[in-house]
Amino acid sequence: MKIKRTPIIEADYVVVDTELTGLDEKKDSIVSIAAIKMIGGRISLEDKFYRLVNPETELKKESVLIHGITHSEVSKKPGIKKVLSEFSEFCSDNIIVGHFLAIDMSFINRDMKKFFGTTIKNPGIDTYLLYRCLRKKFPEQKCLADLLKDSGLYKIAKCFDIQITDMHNAIKDAFITAQIFQRFMPLLRESEIETTDVLLKIGDYSKGADKYSQSEESCNF
Amino acid sequence: MILEEVVEFLKKVPPFQFLEDTELKKIAAGVSMEYYPSGSTILYQEGPASEYLRVIKKGGVKVFIRSADNEEVVIDYRGEGDVFGLLSMVKGDRSIANVIAVEDTISYLIDKQTILALLDTHPSVTEFFLKSFLNKYIDKTYKEMHNKSLLYGGGDKLLFTTPIGELSNRKVITAPNDITIKEASEIMSKHKIGSLVLVTTEGVPVGIVTNRDFRDKVVSKGRQVTDSVTSIMSSSLIKAEARDYCFEALLKMLRYNIHHVLVVDEGKLKGIITNHDLMMLQGISPISIVKELESQQTIEGLIPVSKKINKIVSLLLKEGAKASNITRIISEINDRLVKKIIDITERELGKPPVNYCWIVFGSEGRKEQTFKTDQDNAIIYDDTDTKEEAEKAKVYFSVFASHIRDGLLKCGFPLCPANYMATNPQWCQPLKVWKKYFSNWVSEPVQDSILKSLIFFDFRPLYGEISFAEKLRDHLIIILKDQKVFLGYLANVIIKNMPPVGFLKSFVVEKSGEHKDMLNLKIKGVSMLVDIVRLFSLERGIRETSTLERLNVLKNSHTTAKEYAEEIEHAFEFIMLLRIQHQLEQIQSGSDPDNFIDPKKLSNLEKKTMKEAFHLVSKIQDSIIERYKSLIW
Repeated sequence: MKIKRTPIIEADYVVVDTELTGLDEKKDSIVSIAAIKMIGGRISLEDKFYRLVNPETELKKESVLIHGITHSEVSKKPGIKKVLSEFSEFCSDNIIVGHFLAIDMSFINRDMKKFFGTTIKNPGIDTYLLYRCLRKKFPEQKCLADLLKDSGLYKIAKCFDIQITDMHNAIKDAFITAQIFQRFMPLLRESEIETTDVLLKIGDYSKGADKYSQSEESCNF
Repeated sequence: MILEEVVEFLKKVPPFQFLEDTELKKIAAGVSMEYYPSGSTILYQEGPASEYLRVIKKGGVKVFIRSADNEEVVIDYRGEGDVFGLLSMVKGDRSIANVIAVEDTISYLIDKQTILALLDTHPSVTEFFLKSFLNKYIDKTYKEMHNKSLLYGGGDKLLFTTPIGELSNRKVITAPNDITIKEASEIMSKHKIGSLVLVTTEGVPVGIVTNRDFRDKVVSKGRQVTDSVTSIMSSSLIKAEARDYCFEALLKMLRYNIHHVLVVDEGKLKGIITNHDLMMLQGISPISIVKELESQQTIEGLIPVSKKINKIVSLLLKEGAKASNITRIISEINDRLVKKIIDITERELGKPPVNYCWIVFGSEGRKEQTFKTDQDNAIIYDDTDTKEEAEKAKVYFSVFASHIRDGLLKCGFPLCPANYMATNPQWCQPLKVWKKYFSNWVSEPVQDSILKSLIFFDFRPLYGEISFAEKLRDHLIIILKDQKVFLGYLANVIIKNMPPVGFLKSFVVEKSGEHKDMLNLKIKGVSMLVDIVRLFSLERGIRETSTLERLNVLKNSHTTAKEYAEEIEHAFEFIMLLRIQHQLEQIQSGSDPDNFIDPKKLSNLEKKTMKEAFHLVSKIQDSIIERYKSLIW
């Protein structure tokens, strides 16, 4: 999908989060998908998407403990194929936003390929990559600098004074991610990152997957 | 899940809390959310109108306008649960004010259609918004008028209790709707009016023609003047019901950006109500009270009028007036009341043997009165030549002062517990004795004389021979020159009253007794600032007595005052307003007003502002300590 040059504060976003049975792309699957829309810096609380998925594989004990979704809850829910077709429609041509988005998208696109022979090609922003970049730009900003060790969603949310209610619920997590992205916007602006093309240069998830493990941080745009 | 949070939040916030759950759920479903870092501008004056009503979920904003000479006029601070952007949203025109985040702020956005629908269907919502918003707006425009003319009609009526019908006695010239264009224009020429309302034979208004219609629809279109007037009238009339309260008319004016609304009663035209009528309604009370005071001839007649003064405070508060404006108006009214009492007494007792000046001091002297405060007054009379004359004056003024004291008491001014009243022979003296008092206090600053000077040096003449007070002021300024020791004593008093700044999370509050855990807004608030500004004024020989007037003069001559003038003013206004609001609440709930507030009940923004005020006092105290180093013990 072509990346348009739009002011960040005017672009349409869809903030995404998934819950998974585990992190192994070969064995694990999606338990739930949630998404919430943003128009620039405004989170549209009503415009959201949340589906539990009947997983192909058995729910693992450990993952049930994390997301709290049990087998009986999902067994009557639609399969991933139907959910994905609805999801891709919901995303429209908005920019996708997520924390460690590469992980969510790898599962989503694995199944997209399997059922539809295609992938979701919307441009996507990883809030983790944005965070890493902003941390370098604003070393004196306490809520950014303090997080060197743990850059998880909740840790960042906490530092930005974002309310966390239910952990590991996809829609709540998407909402938290949206608020983090919202908090980042004024900081991006201050760094003179004002349009979506520049935003993608620093936050594109598809280029950032391997960056998670990199110790050397880069922030070039 | 996310929307439940919104519903829960709205349930605690007026006016949404008045709504049913189902209604709240509908509202929540359309809500969106924005974040503004501290310092960012959310709405610009004259900028595009807001498409949303914003409800502050967290944080706080400042609403202000810039006047023509680029002065910032703060309309309001809003905190959690407050809303902003209503007026420009309803008006749909330009944004009326600037709104800037003063803390990191999150707000919920409710779209225009939802709010308009609510206003149409829920009178409680309409009333709430109008009470909290429109008055503040009206106040600004009304003030301009107020400055021009102080003389409008009587009565004690309000926007929210007066039916439109009562105001719309203006007669509207109408014509039947079956006349021709020519006939209509003849009627308009005859009455010299620019528009004409057309009514049916039953008196129901059906349309209006204006000068413009003749130009645009008749002349330029070449229409026959013998055509029916209905062919050129516009039939979209903005009407209001006579039995509705005035704010309904105001809302229509704002919404349609018009200045007149037709008033109908059961469908029939009753009159017209204009923007001007509404302004008059708003401006009535303080003026009408003054007029009423002036027309009384006896103390007994003054008593019921004086009881209305507290109501003005609530009116002014509702209108969003600044604390200093409220105290100025109240002081003005109280002055008139006192003058009237003196006037009546003089007439009863006959002319005094010598000239005199009635002076007031304390908060009355500073024109910082809110609700009825203790009597703080004294008499300076002319120096007499003979012993006989002196005796005569003493006798007269003793009786005179007690008459006035009783009159003031009847009108609600309590006696001064410390007996700083003209009835006390010590405070009813010829000018030369007063000069001696002042000289003694300044040259021998013991605790008692320091205390007296703090109270008496804020004196101002209220009645009689003003020049006596002026001469006393001259004397004071002269004896204070280079009296570093005396000023050092005052400085000590000031720095002993430490603001509770050390505690970031909570204030230092009363540690025990009846007011445990309460903050004393007088001692740990107003007085701290008053004392500081008084010290600066005495240092510079400033004649003004009110804190803000003093500051205004000091700005040009006093380095510390110059540096902090704006902050002091802001802090002073804020604490005074807090105190007025607190006392008004007490009065309205039937208890006696005091100065103790519960810091827990302050909003975050209020707490923050309070802390800033304390920090300010602390900073200024440091600079005072620095200057009086050698005299501080």
